[in-house]
Amino acid sequence: MFKIENLTYFYPDALRPALQQINLSIGEGEFLLVAGGSGSGKSSLVRVLAGLIPEFYGGRIAGETYFRGQRMSKLDGRQVAREVGMVFQDPEKQVVMTGVEAEIAFGLENLGLPPDEMLRRAAEVMGFLGLTSLRGEFTASLSGGQKQKLALAAVLAMQPRALILDEPTSQLDPVAAEELLNLVKRLNEEIGLTVILVEQRLERCYHLADRVVFMTDGRIVQDEKPVKAALWAVEKGFPFVPPVARFFAHLGVSPVPLTVQEGRKLLPTSFTFAGSQPETAAKAAPRPATVVRLKDVWFTYPNGREALRAVNLEVGTGEFVAVVGENGAGKTTLLKIMVGLLKPGRGKVLSGSEETADSMRRDRRPAYLSQNPNDYLLRETVEEELLFTLRNHGLRDDGIVDELLRRLRLDESRRRHPRDLSSGERQRVALASVAVMQPSLLALDEPTRGLDPVLKAELGEFLTGLARSGVSIVLVTHDIEFAAEFASRVVLVFDGRIVSDGAKTRVLGESLFYTTQMGKLFRGYAEGVVTVKDALQRVAPRAKSGRVFHA
Amino acid sequence: MFEKFFYQEKGLFLQSLHPVTAMTYVGVLFVLSLLFNHPLYLLGILGVIFLSIRAVDGLGYWESYLKFAVGMTLFIIIVNALTVNCGESVIWDGPRLPVIGAVTVSLEALCCGAAMGVRLLNVVSVFCLYNLMVHPDKVLNLISRFAAGSALVLSLSSRMVPMMARHLGIIREALVCRGVDFKKGTWKERLEKSTLPVTVLLSSSLESSLEIAEALHARAYGSGRRSCYRRDLTRPRDVLCAGSAILALAVAVWCRVRGCGSFDFYPRLGFLVADSATLTGLLAIILLLSVPVLLSWGWRYCPCLRLKI
Repeated sequence: MFKIENLTYFYPDALRPALQQINLSIGEGEFLLVAGGSGSGKSSLVRVLAGLIPEFYGGRIAGETYFRGQRMSKLDGRQVAREVGMVFQDPEKQVVMTGVEAEIAFGLENLGLPPDEMLRRAAEVMGFLGLTSLRGEFTASLSGGQKQKLALAAVLAMQPRALILDEPTSQLDPVAAEELLNLVKRLNEEIGLTVILVEQRLERCYHLADRVVFMTDGRIVQDEKPVKAALWAVEKGFPFVPPVARFFAHLGVSPVPLTVQEGRKLLPTSFTFAGSQPETAAKAAPRPATVVRLKDVWFTYPNGREALRAVNLEVGTGEFVAVVGENGAGKTTLLKIMVGLLKPGRGKVLSGSEETADSMRRDRRPAYLSQNPNDYLLRETVEEELLFTLRNHGLRDDGIVDELLRRLRLDESRRRHPRDLSSGERQRVALASVAVMQPSLLALDEPTRGLDPVLKAELGEFLTGLARSGVSIVLVTHDIEFAAEFASRVVLVFDGRIVSDGAKTRVLGESLFYTTQMGKLFRGYAEGVVTVKDALQRVAPRAKSGRVFHA
Repeated sequence: MFEKFFYQEKGLFLQSLHPVTAMTYVGVLFVLSLLFNHPLYLLGILGVIFLSIRAVDGLGYWESYLKFAVGMTLFIIIVNALTVNCGESVIWDGPRLPVIGAVTVSLEALCCGAAMGVRLLNVVSVFCLYNLMVHPDKVLNLISRFAAGSALVLSLSSRMVPMMARHLGIIREALVCRGVDFKKGTWKERLEKSTLPVTVLLSSSLESSLEIAEALHARAYGSGRRSCYRRDLTRPRDVLCAGSAILALAVAVWCRVRGCGSFDFYPRLGFLVADSATLTGLLAIILLLSVPVLLSWGWRYCPCLRLKI
C-alpha cells in the first residue's frame, strides 16, 4: 500500500533532518507498530504517510513516497484524506464540533459527499463503535476515552484504506486505552484495514502488530516481526520492548512469548521460583516521620460530585507513593488537597502536626506539578523559570538552580526559551521550576504522559534521588509499569475512596487489573513479582525443560 | 460549575422541534417583545415565555436569569421615575439637584419604567428559552449551509472558550504553587500578576492552534467544495408550531398598524383596553404563541397526539 524510497526530510529552518534515508514498504491489511524515543522521527514518518509532510508542514524533502503505486505528491489533498485517516495524540485538539454526530459528519462534509451517503456512513460507524447512545451529546461532556473513540469514528466514517494512529492512548487511562486498541485490532482483522500505530507504551499493543519498526535519530534501525524485533531490542539494549517479552528475551527463550497468556504457558514447566518476599525486611523498618496526613477527608465539588470520601492517608518523609485508579476516581483532587490547593469540606489535612494552611507559610512548602508542563512555562529562559519560583517564595539561590539544571540535563538549555524545547525537555523544566523550592512534598499529576521509556527512566531516577534526599514524592499515574519500577508504595483510589494502600509488591501483586505485565505473568506462581528486575532475581529456568534457552 | 448555562438534552417536545421551527418561534417571541409597549401585550408574551420555559423544565435555570433581569428592571423603574418629568400625576416632589434639576416622581414615569422593565425581562427570558430549547449544534448546522467557515469558527469558539476558562484555572493553580499570590500587592502588582496566567494560556493556545489546524487538514478541510449533513426531519409539529408563530407575527403587525399594541404613558396614562380590537389582538397572539406549549402538554400526556405529531 505504501512504499517509501530514500526519504530524507528537514522541517522548515531545521539544520538536522527529522527523517534520514527512510526505505519502507507497508502491505495492504498490515498492522505496523512504530516505536522509538522522543525525537526519533516516528511522528514525522507517519505524517509523511498521511500526506501532511510536506503538504502541511513545508520544509525540504528528498526521495519519494508511493501510495498504491501512485506518487503521494501527485495526489490531491482530498484524495489523500479520503484514503488515509489519521488519529492524533490529544483528542481535545482534533475534535472540532460541539456535537458528537456533527463531529462524525465533519470529515464527510469536507469530502463533499451526498447527504444520504453521509447519513449511512455516520450511522454505520456509530453503530460499530458503540457511539449511537452518545449521538446527541456535546463533545465537551465526553470523557477522554470517549473523545478519542469519537476521533477514531470521525476518521473511520471517511472509510480510509489506511488508518494511522499517533500515540492515541497517551492521554487515556489504561481501561480506555485497552478498549481503543482492541477496536483498532478488530478493524484490522474484520475489515482488513491497514493500521500504522505509533506508541510509547508497548505492553498493550506490541502483540497486536504484524511488524515492528524501531526508529532512532530519524532512521529506521529495525524492521522485523515482533518476536525477532524483541530479541534484537534486548540484545542491543533498546528499551522499547514490553516487559514480558523483555523478560523472556533476557533469558534467551525462543520464540519469545509476547503476551501474558503465552508467557504463563511456559512458567510451570520451564522455570523455578525462589520464595522470599522482598518487602519483609522493609516491614520491620521504623516508620518515617509524617510529612502530610489526611484525616477523614471529604471533598465535594460545587456540582455536587463527591470526589473524596472519608480518606485517611499518611505520607512519610522520603516516601515514594504512586496513586493509581480510574479517571474521575478522585486522584487529582487528592493531590490538590494534599498541597493545599483545595480545602476539604470535612476532615483535616495535617502537615506533621499542623494544618496545611499553616504549613503553607513555612519555608518548605509542598510543590505541585500538574499534568501539562506547558502551564509552567512563562519566562524568557529556562533559568528564569527557576529563579521566578525562588523569588516568589522569597528564597535565595544557594546553588540549587545550577544543581537542578545539571541533574535534569538542562545545562545547555539554560539560556533558551522554554517553549523552544522538546516535550521531554519542557517536562524537565516544569519539574525543575517546582523542585527548585526544595519542597518537603512533591506532588506530581501524570508526569510520565507522553514520555518515552528512556525519559521515563530518567524521571524515575531523578524522583528516586529526591526521595532518598528526604523529599516525599506522591504521584498520580496511569502508568502502572512506572509505579512498579520506582514507587515504594501504591495507593489505589476508587470512587473517591482509598481501597488499597501498601507496599507496591503487595498492592500490585494482589490486584488483577491494576498491576504490571509481570504481575499478571507471575500471579499464582511467585507473589510480589511486579517488575522484570524482580522476576530476574527470583525466577530461574529449569535445567531440563525442553525449551530452547540461548545463553 | 457552568454546566447549567448550556443546553442540556432532555428529550422534551420543544427540544425535538426542527431548528428552523425552534428559531422561528424564539425569533417571533423576541420580535414581539420589542414590537409592543402595551403592558398587557408585554405581560401576555411574558406569560407565554414562562409557560415555554416550564415546558422545557427550565424554571430553575430561569431563576438565575431573573436574578439579573429583575435587578435591572428595578433599576430601570427607578432611573426612569427620577429622570423623566413628563408625567402629570406627580406622586412625589423631591428636591432640586444640580445637573438633574427638580426631582419629581410621577405615576406615568413609574408605569413606563415598569413596562420597559417587563420588556427587558421578556428579552432576557427569550435568550434563556433559546438556551434551553435549541441545540447549538443544530443551529451551527443550519449556518454551515450558507457560511461554512463562520460555522466552524463559532463551533471551535464555543468548544474552546469553556475549555480555556478551565485551563486558566489550572494555570492559576500552578502559579499559586510557584508562590504567586494573586491577592497580595498593590493594584498594579496584582494586575501584573493576573496577566501571567493569560500569557501562559495564549502561548499554549497558539501552539494548540497548529495542532488543530493539522487535524482539520487531515480531515480534508479546505480541500474543495463541501456538502452539508442534514439530520433533522420535519414533522407535523414543526408545521403547526412554525405556522402558528408566523401567524402570531402577522397578527402582531396588524395590531401595530391599527395601533392596538401601543400604549400612551405620557402625559397621562391611557386606557389599558381602549377598544375591543386591543383585546382580540392580544388573545389571538397569546393563543397562537401558546400552540407549541399546548402541543408540548398534549405530547406529554396524550399518547394519541404524540403518535400523530
